[in-house]
Amino acid sequence: MTEKTFPELRRKLTSGWWTSNRHYVQYMVREWTSLFVALFSLVYIYGLSLLATGSRSAFLNLLKSPAMIAFSFIALIFTLYHAVTWFYLLGQVVPVKIGKTTSKPWQALVANLVLLIIVSYLVIWLLVLR
Amino acid sequence: MAAGVEMREEAPRVARLHAILWGIFSLGGMLAAFLLPVMIYLTGIAYPLGLWPLNGSRDPSFLVMGTLLGVLFVFVTVAGSLFHGIFRFQSALTEVGLLRLKKGLEAAGYLIIFAGIILLAYYLLVLNPSLPAL
Amino acid sequence: MDTATIRVTRYRPETGPEPFFQEYKVPYRNDMVVLDALNYIKANLDGSLTYRWSCRMGVCGSCGANVDGTPKLTCASFLHEFKGRTINVEPLPNFPVIKDLVVNMEDFMRKLVKIKPWIIREKETPPEQGEYQQSAEELERYQQFSSCINCMLCYSACPIYGLNEKFLGPAATALAYRYIEDSRDQGKNVRFPIVHEMEGVWECTLVGECSVVCPKGVDPMLAIQKTKILGATNALRSILMPRGGR
Repeated sequence: MTEKTFPELRRKLTSGWWTSNRHYVQYMVREWTSLFVALFSLVYIYGLSLLATGSRSAFLNLLKSPAMIAFSFIALIFTLYHAVTWFYLLGQVVPVKIGKTTSKPWQALVANLVLLIIVSYLVIWLLVLR
Repeated sequence: MAAGVEMREEAPRVARLHAILWGIFSLGGMLAAFLLPVMIYLTGIAYPLGLWPLNGSRDPSFLVMGTLLGVLFVFVTVAGSLFHGIFRFQSALTEVGLLRLKKGLEAAGYLIIFAGIILLAYYLLVLNPSLPAL
Repeated sequence: MDTATIRVTRYRPETGPEPFFQEYKVPYRNDMVVLDALNYIKANLDGSLTYRWSCRMGVCGSCGANVDGTPKLTCASFLHEFKGRTINVEPLPNFPVIKDLVVNMEDFMRKLVKIKPWIIREKETPPEQGEYQQSAEELERYQQFSSCINCMLCYSACPIYGLNEKFLGPAATALAYRYIEDSRDQGKNVRFPIVHEMEGVWECTLVGECSVVCPKGVDPMLAIQKTKILGATNALRSILMPRGGR
């Protein structure tokens, strides 16, 4: 006797899969905003090309243009968002163990945000104020 | 997966290059998180709006001219952020319907990353001709 | 007694190729779960409904389904939590459906075996010479990763697995990491190539939903990231110290 077999149902993930739940949406926002981290770098490299070809005023005018200022604000906000999500993930993946207690992700977030402020001030002090 | 599951397993090969690239990607994430905000603030906001600490006469070109520390800061921050951001974005694109283009997106991503980093290094060297001597 | 409306996805390949929905009204008490409702349907309303279950207490891992859009154990989803809303019960996403709520687990099973889930020793010692000893601290390093009940909820929650079924995925990597972190295991050289190949851990983009849906508190997301870190440091070491670095 031969056994009759039936086809299995294969369901494909649609390109809108990430709208089906809040965590997926948060994930997609996290990934797409990280694009601005790269975009600012590309714009900055373009600015450097102006400076390197001898056109200092073109470089400075680029920075002073309203569009560039607006872009910088958006890039700063998204970069800070990247920093926040990155610090939180850092707390999840490499928790610090002190004695018997293990650090929580939000503790890593707070500690690293404090560190971010210190590092930022250190950069300003070393490169600008000194 | 085929319905009859063939057990023809190929011998696993460690993706060593990819492991290294992932390491750089993580390092880039760290650099972008800790150094990029202050860099964007200085160049894109404090300078054009005349805010502290660039409310004097200085413009942000001093960051990339003259001091080794400034050049290093700009290089690691921009290169790291570029690597991190592009690496992540090209894989996010494959997840929203462009899976067919996975290979192409990956290639385009690395092209942008490495062209960007090479240009960055080139411009920094042009701006600081005495740098190789250091 | 209240009445719950259960909307089950049916797939009956012997009658037609398209899945369809069927609604059932089930009377319930506060202590009843979705699995109880399915059993009520099977016993009283529709004997043709097909689904897997066994222990009814979150131990066997066989009753997983997509309940109200989230992969869950049906034995751990209380009906009163849905308060009168229609409860959608679908087969676990990302797996081929054999019939109604029953999915094909072949790929998952093959991945579990692939990572060699047993203690590998360079040289086995006979049982008479005693156990391989381990301290409480050493046990703690991997214990949570050994709690997996193979319910496959994490694979259903993972869009990366949904997009690319070659991806080794959450539970198998968590299990591999459980042995990597086990002080009695000496199989790193065997297991690392399996988790560190291209379709091993590198496909993961840290969505993190695997760890959210796990009913046993296992954190596969953590296991995958730790395994990536091991892969990156190993690769770096093998480049800096080509000879004898390992």
